Parts: sequence; C-alpha cells; structure tokens
Amino acid sequence: MQLNSTEDSRPNGVAIATNGEHNGFSRRLTDEEFDRYSRQMIVPGMGREAQLRLINSKVLIIGGGGLGCPAAQYVAGAGVGTIGIIDGDVVEPSNLHRQVGHATSRIGMKKVDSLITHLRDLNPLPTYTPYTYPISPENAADIISQYDLVLDCTDNPATRYLISDVCVLLCKPLVSAASIQKSGQLIVLNCPPTPQGKVDKKYPPCYRCCFRKPPPANTQLSCGEAGIMGPVVGLMGVAQAGEAIKILASALHLPSSIPSNPEDDPHNLIQPTLLIYSYDLTAAPGPFTFRALKMAPRKKNCFACGENSPQTLTLEGVKSGNPNYIQFCGIQTPKIVLPEQDRITASAYHAARQNGQLQNHILLDTREKEHFSFGSIDGAVNVPFGKLLMKAATIKRHGGDAEEILPVEISEDQKDVPPIFVVCRRGLDSQEAVEKLKELGVDRGGKRKIVDIIGGMKAWKEEVDPSFPFI
Amino acid sequence: MTTPKPPPGHFTILYFASATSFTAKNVESLPAPLSLKKLFDVLEERYKGIKDSVLDHSLVTINLAYVDIPEEGEEDVIIKEGDEVAIIPPVSSG
Repeated sequence: MQLNSTEDSRPNGVAIATNGEHNGFSRRLTDEEFDRYSRQMIVPGMGREAQLRLINSKVLIIGGGGLGCPAAQYVAGAGVGTIGIIDGDVVEPSNLHRQVGHATSRIGMKKVDSLITHLRDLNPLPTYTPYTYPISPENAADIISQYDLVLDCTDNPATRYLISDVCVLLCKPLVSAASIQKSGQLIVLNCPPTPQGKVDKKYPPCYRCCFRKPPPANTQLSCGEAGIMGPVVGLMGVAQAGEAIKILASALHLPSSIPSNPEDDPHNLIQPTLLIYSYDLTAAPGPFTFRALKMAPRKKNCFACGENSPQTLTLEGVKSGNPNYIQFCGIQTPKIVLPEQDRITASAYHAARQNGQLQNHILLDTREKEHFSFGSIDGAVNVPFGKLLMKAATIKRHGGDAEEILPVEISEDQKDVPPIFVVCRRGLDSQEAVEKLKELGVDRGGKRKIVDIIGGMKAWKEEVDPSFPFI
Repeated sequence: MTTPKPPPGHFTILYFASATSFTAKNVESLPAPLSLKKLFDVLEERYKGIKDSVLDHSLVTINLAYVDIPEEGEEDVIIKEGDEVAIIPPVSSG
C-alpha cells in the first residue's frame, strides 16, 4: 500500500522529518510504521504522539518463558523501539504448551535467541537485545539501568525481590506477573517511578510493600512441580504487555511524571491494583473469576522503598550480596531426614519384592492423583500428601482410630499386615508421611515397620524402571 | 461479585493459590463478626499449620481492598457479616 506522505522518504524507506527537528518525538512516522501501527494508533487516547513514545521506549523483559513469550509478542507488535530479553534457559519440549514464542524446531536453542527469532519475524523494526544468562545481583543494575520499564516474567521469589529492589533503586516502573496451576496475579509497581525513601505523601508500592516475606522454601513450587495451564499464564503475560504499553504511551514511566505535589497530580490517582485471575471458584456460577484488589500505597516501614530504606538497601549493597536473596527466600532443603533404618533405596525395595521377601506389605504413594494417574508401582495405593496431612490433623484433634488414615482401599485384614512402605515423587513428602504415621501410632509402638523409599518415583525410574512415565 | 452471599451471621472467606491447596477449598463461610487480629488464629484452629505455611506471607483483603493485619497495640478491624475476605499468597512461578 502506498501512502500519500509528504515526508521526504529515502530509498531505504526511512523517512526524515521535514521540520528540521530530529528529536524522536517530533518526527513523522515512516510509511512502514504508519501501516504497521495504524490499527492501534487510531484507538482513542493513542495517536501519533503516543506511538512515538512507544517507538522511543526501551523495555526489559526478564524471563523468556510462559509470561515473557506472550508479553514480548505484544510489546514487540506494538512497536516498542528497544526490547531487551534476559533468560539463561534453553527451550525444552515441556515449555511449548504455554511458551508461544518458541517452536518445536528450536528445542535446545537458548530461549532468548528463540524468542527473538520469533519476534523479528513478527516485527523487524524494534532493536532486540539478547542477554543469554540469568539476571543476578551482580548484573541486575547494569542491565535494568538501560531501560525505561521492566517486566518481571521470572519464576522464583528470590529473583522477584531482586528485580523489585533494583527497580526501586533505579526509579523504574515494574510490571510484575506470576502464575501457577490455575491462578495468576498481575500488579504494576513503582509507577509513576518514585525515589526511594519518599513517604511524605501517597506513593506507589513496591513488591516488598505487597509481599513482605517470601513463602517458606518447602512450600514454593515451580511450574515443573505443580503444573501450569497455558492460557492462565498466557493471559497474565498479555495483560503485562497491556499495562506496559499503557504506561509508556501515556509517559507515566518518565521521571518527569513524578508529581511535585502528588495530591494535585492526576498521576497520583492511579490506584495500585492487584489483578487475580483464577479458574475454578467452585461457589461461582462461571468457570473463571477476575478480581481487582485495591492495594495499599508505599509502606512507611518498607525495607526497600520506605522511610529508612536508603540505609537498608543500596545499589552497592545489592551488587556485593546484601541483602542475600537466596538466604532470604530460603534454600530448598529437606525438612527432615529419617534415620537409616526407616529408609530403603528404590532398587533394594524392588529386589526385596522380586526375591519374595516382601509378599505382604502396604505401599502408599503420596503423589497427587494426577501424577498417580500416569502410572505407579504395582499394588500401590494413592493417598495424596495434602489429604494425608489433613486426615492426620483431624485424627490428632478429634481423636479416633489412627489407622483410619490408611485409605479405604486397604481391607481390614490387610491393615494388620506389616510393614508399610511410602513413596512420593522425589522423596521428601514420603519422609514427612512416615514421620506423621509414626506420630499417630500407626507403627504400633514400633512393632510395625514404616519405611520411606529414598528418592521417590524419580529414583524408581532411575534405578528400576527407565520406562516409567515420571513427570 | 460472583460468590453467593454467606448465610446470616457469617462472612465469606476466599482462598487463593497455596491457600486453596492447604484448605482444599476455594471458599467457605465463617461466623461474623470477627476481629481481624483473631482471623489467623481461627484459621489455624481449623487448618493446623496454615499460619506458618500460608498466612504469614499472604496478603489479606476485605471487600476487595488490602488490609494490614494489626499488630499488638494497633487498632483492630472488625470483619462484619456479609463481608468478603480473601487470603492471597504470593505466586512466584511464571
């Protein structure tokens, strides 16, 4: 399509402004830009100026996975001029159901390179900057400082706190999203960007203002462990791009948008909002729910942005390991380790079954029923770990026969047969289950052996049955 | 909102993410009025261990607005009949 442009177009298609100003905000759009962005530019509130702001903006997308892929697509499609993507992972087959910026043909490629390949095909106009390594306290400030706005598309609490802290220190707005299983969260933080320590009026919160401390390490689950529905994380990523485009197009990311008298400034009216999306609220008639929750402003006593924060959080500190994000978020260690005599390796258990030493025993599998549905050891009975804990708590509180904790599939006479073996996914829950069963007295004062299978079904696959469908 | 009204003398409590997994519920009704300071104790009584595993790092909303859990000596908030309380643990994955 040819446009009747009055621009002085060069043969390579790059138009130059005719009014003498070469500043990016007063130039005309090139024919290609005009064509490409026409549908969004005519939306009320957009127009030429807003589009030029997008073109002159720099966005950093941290994480090229389930959130980063959809977010990057729309940020690139909208014409944001410079897009940095940081991720150290490579594309795996298990990513593809949700990470729509990758492809089967690019399995094994660095995610950043794969995603940029996809984005260039979508829109070749932006400048794409790859960072093919993970973000860290050492490199975070150097990278983030080169951008106007940051999207947190990462997958663990330590990185989330790091990114939020550095965005506060560098005065960058942060669009943060997260998702697991069937729920997602989205929140815009530190926008309009406000200097650290300013608390005289109402200012936008940071991640720590909303979530003061991380969940205990043993309750933090990754998508690999807990699972994730593609559309849920996709929706959150798309919404992140939506917020980013809105902020950039309306210049809310610029330091000049920090109001000198916040109460007079319309920017200050932005209500910090946490969007929660979840699939199945059983009491609701619909299949999904959106909730927009009003969040509180910046907290006076916040470690990162509050009144005394310049003493507790600095760029130099972050770079040299203070705070220690890994320690703050806990290191994944097994909570308990059972004594040797209460444990058996998967291969020893298998051997004992094979040579007839274990003709009569109970085998409890404490994985979730979805995991169990793909396969289990012959004769295993499924008691999902959460249910086991709930049952144990009820028996403890209200009394009752401790052996009722054993699933109903186990017949009465079978219940009398020692011993009990417990297996889980990777060998952590099973140890806690053994401990719980003993606590309740299911071991009959030591007369019945209750044994943990070391390393769970993962070990079973590695040591006994390589064809076992382990997820 | 789409959740049905709680029975008379009750408020609705919604559980999200790990709070759902811990309680094995998305929603239930609890007797109102209830002091916000006592909310965590009431939940701990019902779901042993929920305080350490979920509540301590979750944010709480009443009628879709964030509330701080009042500490010792701070003014309390009363959860009233018909209110909607939500327990929202942070989600970290992506």
